[in-house]
Amino acid sequence: MLSRKATRLVAALAVTFALATVTGCGEDQPAADSKAPLEIWVRKPPGSPTEKTHQDLAAKFTAATGVPTRVTAVFEDFETKLQQAAAQKKLPDIVVNDTAQLGTLVKQGLVRDVNQADIAGGDQLTPASWDAARGADGKLYAVPFSAQSFALFIRKDWRERLGLAQPTSWAELDALATAFTTKDPDGNGKADTYGYVIPGSTKRGYLDWYFSSFLWASGADYFSGSPGSLTPAIGSDQAVGAATWLKSQFCTAKSVVPGAVTAETTQAHPLFETGKGGVYFTGPYNMARFDKSLGKDKYEVVALPAGPGGKSASLAEGENVYLMAGSANPAGQERFAEFLISEQGQTIGMAGDTDGNVVRLPVNKNIDLAKVRTDARWLVFDKVYKEVGRYAPVVPEWTPFRTASAEALNAIVSNCASDPKAELAKLATEFGAELKKQGAGA
Amino acid sequence: MSHTGSGAAATAVRPGRQAGRSAPPPDPAPRPRRRLDLTGALSPWLFLAPALTIFALFKFWPMAQAVAMSLHEVRPYLGDRWVGLDNYTQVLTDEDFLSAIGHTAVLAVGQTGGSILLGMALALLLEGSAKHLWVVRTAVFLPTVVAMAVVAEVWRILYYPAPDGTVNTVLGWLGMGPSQFLNSQDSSLLSVMAVGIWRGAPYDMMIFLAGLAGVDRNLYEAAAVDGASVARRLWHVTFPALRPVFAILFTLAAIRGLRVFTEIFLLTNGGPNGATEVMMTLIYKLGLERGELGVAAAGSMLLLAATVLLTLVVRLLRSRAERKVA
Repeated sequence: MLSRKATRLVAALAVTFALATVTGCGEDQPAADSKAPLEIWVRKPPGSPTEKTHQDLAAKFTAATGVPTRVTAVFEDFETKLQQAAAQKKLPDIVVNDTAQLGTLVKQGLVRDVNQADIAGGDQLTPASWDAARGADGKLYAVPFSAQSFALFIRKDWRERLGLAQPTSWAELDALATAFTTKDPDGNGKADTYGYVIPGSTKRGYLDWYFSSFLWASGADYFSGSPGSLTPAIGSDQAVGAATWLKSQFCTAKSVVPGAVTAETTQAHPLFETGKGGVYFTGPYNMARFDKSLGKDKYEVVALPAGPGGKSASLAEGENVYLMAGSANPAGQERFAEFLISEQGQTIGMAGDTDGNVVRLPVNKNIDLAKVRTDARWLVFDKVYKEVGRYAPVVPEWTPFRTASAEALNAIVSNCASDPKAELAKLATEFGAELKKQGAGA
Repeated sequence: MSHTGSGAAATAVRPGRQAGRSAPPPDPAPRPRRRLDLTGALSPWLFLAPALTIFALFKFWPMAQAVAMSLHEVRPYLGDRWVGLDNYTQVLTDEDFLSAIGHTAVLAVGQTGGSILLGMALALLLEGSAKHLWVVRTAVFLPTVVAMAVVAEVWRILYYPAPDGTVNTVLGWLGMGPSQFLNSQDSSLLSVMAVGIWRGAPYDMMIFLAGLAGVDRNLYEAAAVDGASVARRLWHVTFPALRPVFAILFTLAAIRGLRVFTEIFLLTNGGPNGATEVMMTLIYKLGLERGELGVAAAGSMLLLAATVLLTLVVRLLRSRAERKVA
């Protein structure tokens, strides 16, 4: 009898302690405090020059406004760590991350909506950049901070050694990749070089992220119709043509570096740097890295030639300043975003020609890129962004589409007996179901 | 249990008192007995309290939360939506999940069997007390203590699927290959399994060595005198003596096999074409890449149920086997 009492006592104590701890974890909405410190998370490698630029930006903001800031750089599994913080209801105040994350953050209610009129200097941004911050419901959920497009990085020394010209069509591009694979462009007497470097893993939807520019350049698209009443178009003949072209590089021409179907970007970069592959379609942020590891004179940056659709295309991406939910200092969040998009903030973020750039292409239309940077290769990306840049389709949440697409493409290229038409038809069905689930379908 | 203990202590006092006096005194006052009971009842709980608190905070409470999450569409800042068993239905009818369960089972059986066989072979080869064996054993044990991230990176390099890749070069000398290893859907699961066996076998070897040290040497000698061959000595003396070791290894491997994650995540991330997707990588993708925390929690609950079931089955088989021996 008594021991039962004692058991009850211990159990009651344990429950009380657990509850006290758990309730201590959850925090009520804090009162607004315009001087409360801002916790800022940036998706940059810790200790990198890009992190230092963010530290610099935050320090200058604090000096100008008196609002304390703390910058945390997280690179590996950034989204995972953010989810963990969200589960504990301890989100940072500001997150500077990819534009493509917008839908996921909105769906989970992790970000505040933004009124463009409340953001001082918001009218100085290029209109296209604001598109990157718009949710499927038409509201703005972030402030754009940096833009970027993609281009081909080609081993110039290899191309010149083989006496080939810069590619101006997909056929010439394929011929270049095949020559890099079969004609010993590094002259070492071994068949150890390849054409395309492709991050073909499904992780974070990498293969689709790579392929989207090629898909658009072939004249195909993910959806048809207007936002809110979309229908899948990924099973179209043009899309099948683009996927078949991609598959032929893997299975017929065999001009893709070995290991591509399980490679992430971190594993793909070294394949270009160490002379395994000679054609890499990637972003401007890699120039600083490749200049150091490979040498600036060894490669060139060229726009993707027009595809079978008759025009060129490039995925437009960049980074947004997300004002996270549950902040103790909402006014401070907006002031920080305003500082980052100001001419001063954008210029600091561009970091001249150094590898500390966190603003790839400025979103503030008053900034002349050529005046801040002398490196003419940036102008290639600027031109591509302005002329043929396309953001990911506007749906409530893009991540499930990108992941499903990457998985279908991975299935096509990793199995040479696959039928691209059947795989894309299956993908179109999945797209239809997902559009319906998200309430964005026709 | 504690009540019985204290009761026994109280009974033990009585004979002494009875022996010391001619007339038995009235029943001992209930108060001291109560105090004894209270101390007896509390003390095990007090000893357990630190561990229980830690377990409650870091294991039981998160588990309870996961159960709740599995019944909701989880939206931390918008409020969760009750969906009942929908998440479970989605998991159990999802083609990808079913194939992930299949891959998990194949990998668990393959890695467990491979590690045990190789571990036992290594243990039999390296058993003994000579000093040089100690050095070799340490060298063989190294893969187990190296971080999985390092192991994965090393094996990705070794498996480089071109003719000039390390393993492919060796295959070339033998007139075979080049193999695609991790990059073909036909060979990727086997390639991951080989890494798992390479890493797990030395661990099993150490447990076998501990088991072998306990085998009575006289039995070997007696068997040798009776003219038993090496194979017969192994079969009739060594293996029966190692029965408890097998039981431990199977229990550990059953649990470890179902939870396989790191090697897949780092080597292939479930690819190519989903050929190496296992339950844990799929749960990770659903929860943390696609933000479907409710569905991921339902998958985790099913994995937990499978682990508990498998552990119970192994225990049941073990107790049956022990009864048979007895």
